[in-house]
Amino acid sequence: MLKRLTFAQVYLLLAVLLAGAVVASAGIGAFTFSPAEMLRYLGEAAGWMSAPASDTLGRNVFLELRLPRVVLAGVTGAVLGVSGTIMQGLFRNPIVEPGLAGTSAGAAFGAALVFVLGEKTTLAFTAPLGALAVPVLAFVGAFAATMLVYRVSTSFGKVNVFTLLLAGIAVNAVCSAGTGFLSYIARDPQARNITFWNLGTFTTASWRGTVLVSVAFLLCFAWALRHGKSLNALMLGEDEAAALGIDPAGLILRLIILNTIMVAVDTAMVGVIAFIGLVVPHMLRMMKSADYTFLLPASALFGALLMECIDIVARLVISPAELPIGIITAVVGAPVFLYILLRQQRSGGAFYG
Amino acid sequence: MVEVRGVHYRVNDAHILRDVSVAFRPGRFNVILGPNGAGKSTLLKVATGLLAPTEGEVRFDGRDLRELGADTLARRRAVLSQHVELAFPLSVQDVVLMGRYPHYRRVPTARDRDIVDRALAIVDMTHKRAQAYPTLSGGEQQKVQLARVLAQIWNYDAPDGDKVLFLDEPTSSLDVHYQLHLLDVARELLGFHCTVIAVLHDLNVALQYGDAFVVLEDGRVAEATDDPNLISASLLERVFKVRARRLTDPESGDTFWRFRL
Repeated sequence: MLKRLTFAQVYLLLAVLLAGAVVASAGIGAFTFSPAEMLRYLGEAAGWMSAPASDTLGRNVFLELRLPRVVLAGVTGAVLGVSGTIMQGLFRNPIVEPGLAGTSAGAAFGAALVFVLGEKTTLAFTAPLGALAVPVLAFVGAFAATMLVYRVSTSFGKVNVFTLLLAGIAVNAVCSAGTGFLSYIARDPQARNITFWNLGTFTTASWRGTVLVSVAFLLCFAWALRHGKSLNALMLGEDEAAALGIDPAGLILRLIILNTIMVAVDTAMVGVIAFIGLVVPHMLRMMKSADYTFLLPASALFGALLMECIDIVARLVISPAELPIGIITAVVGAPVFLYILLRQQRSGGAFYG
Repeated sequence: MVEVRGVHYRVNDAHILRDVSVAFRPGRFNVILGPNGAGKSTLLKVATGLLAPTEGEVRFDGRDLRELGADTLARRRAVLSQHVELAFPLSVQDVVLMGRYPHYRRVPTARDRDIVDRALAIVDMTHKRAQAYPTLSGGEQQKVQLARVLAQIWNYDAPDGDKVLFLDEPTSSLDVHYQLHLLDVARELLGFHCTVIAVLHDLNVALQYGDAFVVLEDGRVAEATDDPNLISASLLERVFKVRARRLTDPESGDTFWRFRL
């Protein structure tokens, strides 16, 4: 169905759907807002309209709670979608994503270190980092975990899928154990935060965090867009890519760094959300093309779209309470993961076709 | 013209190339021969710039490879190796377009598209251009890879200097038809300001297609000659550790080798 469209038309279609999902997500919840109300609040906030004294509660809920949450959900979806695309390109394998390769778990462990031990003397060195301590340590944890999994699973320029899966399991287990230990020794309110945040949540969205995540994403995304051709060439193998004028070692290091920055900053804010990075590029390949110059921009749009829809579901299913995001993404994503694995096994190594 | 001068290549304790000096002359089909482990593929990788020699240098038209930028080099030489598999369903024309990557930045030009079309036509794969690469047979996949390297060093009408095609045992997984087709296409390139440098396993195929021969033995050059007759039975018997006998095709008068242990 999408096969007949040009890349630009697909981007446009995804952008229109995303805009619709954003409006719906901003309107639905414990407070419902009509598009007219949203416009009025936005106009008032921008100073184009004078704010009436009444209805400050609705306006505050919309501007200070709902809106940052909607933006954070969209950016998170984009981060995870793009990250899945980049990592699948790096590992030359469609079953990789930040949740599987240890990136998210490493970031979570790094962030939890600051949450729990931050004010204690043991981590006094984080004090000069101030508000950036959480994202910085999240980056360190995520980078170490990703590099470890990449190194273990790669030999002679080729990635071994089974070693990759096993290395991912091991690194994830170590990081979760670390995070689990921290939540065990943490005082109660922190512990509850960590538990909830292990499954991903947008409830803590604030403008400050949302802006930080968005800036990190936009910078990394702009950087990632330059690597579409290189990721395509890398599909052929490292030697073939080198013969096309690409430095594979440098490319891999740059991509791991930019991917880790994006995922770490996001994970420090919303917690671990698995499977989005797996599902988004997979569906785009099936519907349209495996060309990375298309997948990179498309996975940002489609990831954001998917995450807005999931966030709406999370708020509606057990309303007025809400489900952690990770539960929904696992229910949707795990079957897709198994499906890809089964297909790979049946076709003896080929994933599509 | 690709010149390898005094090249040594060592990995840990293994001394894979020992003082190798060879000049691969332009417009020729140069063949590197030798048994497994003699250093053929290593020599090819050093000559392409994929591996940096431990000692010595490689010159491309008189300039040291290290002085040429990766992009400049990629526009001048291409490498076709053994079977390449893709884990993702990229279309045939997308794979061939990769050969044009060193030539454009973001969007391929009309000329790039045209070259992709012509390269596909040369390997008879135009009708499968929209098909997913992983669904092709091994022979067809190698044809697509051949089209990709052709697109990479395509000269069009205005040659911007000689191009070099490196072949690293490209036919080892192909049946005899695909094997001869691939080498025929490579030979035709010689008429278009192109040099071919190939590592080939099949000695008879190598002698049939080559114009210049380098025989490697234990990391050293055992023989370098333009005359296939200088590749003697005693040389082959020593280097490959077999018994060799030269036979003549009664119809064409071509000679070929028969080997026994």
